[in-house]
Amino acid sequence: MDHLLSSIGSHMFHLFGLLAVGGALAMIFSKNAVHSVVGFLFAMLSVAGCYLCLSAEFLAVAQLLVYAGGIVVLFLFVVMLVEMTKYKEKGLFQVQTPWAVGMVAVGVLGFVGVFWKAWFGASAVEPLTLRPDLAAGLNVATQNAQAVSRGLFAEYLLPFEILSVILLVALVGAVVLAKTERV
Amino acid sequence: MVSLNSVLLISFLLFSVGVAGVLIRRNVLIILMCVELMLNAANLNLIAFARHSGTVGGQAFALLVMGLAAAEVAIGLALVVALYRKKDSVQVDQINLLKG
Repeated sequence: MDHLLSSIGSHMFHLFGLLAVGGALAMIFSKNAVHSVVGFLFAMLSVAGCYLCLSAEFLAVAQLLVYAGGIVVLFLFVVMLVEMTKYKEKGLFQVQTPWAVGMVAVGVLGFVGVFWKAWFGASAVEPLTLRPDLAAGLNVATQNAQAVSRGLFAEYLLPFEILSVILLVALVGAVVLAKTERV
Repeated sequence: MVSLNSVLLISFLLFSVGVAGVLIRRNVLIILMCVELMLNAANLNLIAFARHSGTVGGQAFALLVMGLAAAEVAIGLALVVALYRKKDSVQVDQINLLKG
């Protein structure tokens, strides 16, 4: 039963990952900017599903709240605020598109070769697997939020406080930048 | 149990789609979305390593990255709106104020 559950979890992860990549591709290749935002939303929801399969429940919910609830809505606001139909005839893609796609494809092929070797070649090192004794410390099934909060507020308190300052600066900066220049 | 290699592969694919989007699109809003996508790919890596090492630091840092991404989007979209007021366009090849 445990084996069945874990194999279902693994397959769900692959499904969500492929959906995320599909949403991302739809985002960069769609003509309409609103369709791009919908592809982005789809990718973010699928990434939240991936987090769930990696037993990060708190982060999955935070991803849903922050991205699907906040950032996508902000993007939609700005897409509706700016007029884009004017420049439609100029084309969606930059002039360097073939070069850029070629370079990215070369990088992808190289890294897929590395992954191929890691999967099917003779393994040079022992594969990294979950250590059950350590995973018990994470308490993933029942108390993920408690574990995360202990890490965030005890061990990594200084980065957390720095982040709060960054958020304050971003708030003020966004207000100053978006203000109309009227004296 | 999800193997670490497949997580890394998925996150690498997401990251490369983001890089391709930044390089090829003219619309600055879509470039911003691609930056968000790359941050998410990095987050996926952090969470996978947190899962496989059994510690919680990766998840905590993923949460910090998420907050940073929110701040970045706020600033980026404010810049886009200001730029649209100035240049009346959101296409990156039209934004050439520094060229003189």
